Amino acid sequence: MEKLIVDDDGKVTIPPHVLAKRGLHPGDELTLVEADEGLLVYQRGLDPLTARWWKGLSDDERRQAEAEARSYEDLSEEERDRIWNDGAESLEEGAEGDEVDLPTK
Amino acid sequence: MTSRPSSVLFDKGVIRRVYERHVRLAVGRPPTLLQVEAAGAYARVASFTNSLWITQQTANILHRRTPVFAASILSDCRTFKKGRYLRRWARRLRDFDFSAEDVIVLAYASFGVSADGTQIGTEAVVTADLRLATRYEDNTAEIERRFMEMITALAGVYATLTLPRVFTTADVLTIL
Repeated sequence: MEKLIVDDDGKVTIPPHVLAKRGLHPGDELTLVEADEGLLVYQRGLDPLTARWWKGLSDDERRQAEAEARSYEDLSEEERDRIWNDGAESLEEGAEGDEVDLPTK
Repeated sequence: MTSRPSSVLFDKGVIRRVYERHVRLAVGRPPTLLQVEAAGAYARVASFTNSLWITQQTANILHRRTPVFAASILSDCRTFKKGRYLRRWARRLRDFDFSAEDVIVLAYASFGVSADGTQIGTEAVVTADLRLATRYEDNTAEIERRFMEMITALAGVYATLTLPRVFTTADVLTIL
């Protein structure tokens, strides 16, 4: 977390170590988002693993991904929650039969 | 800088947001900030360790989703089985007012075991749930006391198990 001070001209300075860590250069664009939590500075672009995943898809796979993504995005929030809450694990003693003994060192 | 954990368990909420970050990219819609934060944290962790773990429930959900989105996550992360006493510890964690889902994740981080038995638990849990992280931090001393009380009464390898550190996705991006 960094604290930034607004100067007389309304400018803020991002510390050099943050610029270096985020790979930012003069002229790069940042987006200022007014969220419930306050002002957030958002660096557009893809994280390396999302970029790797996307670049690794063939044209056919990208078409399939787009179709599947539209179908997923058309679901209501409740329907998505149901997908991600499916198969919740029981805490009950009676369910402990699937626990495995840890190996001895 | 906080020391980087050598092994990490992602809770389901983080994996869901990483998945949905991919969905948004494929459909050409801007991601939410929480999706960007989760995907960024996931990538940051993967940059310093390849010991990435998920629970059985998360793996089961991903296996039922379309491979074009799920396969890369299932390839990056390995799945823990439930070790003996996992649920017993999870039930004790309920005394700290964690949700049922939270206690299972925390218990996996101590009592989860890899399929080949070479990995038990993880050094850290990464969660998108600020409430979980705050509650864990607020109760750390008592959780440690209860954990030690439980494992010292157990024999063999169980007595050597450890508690994880808990990081939010924002923590990962700011202090790791």
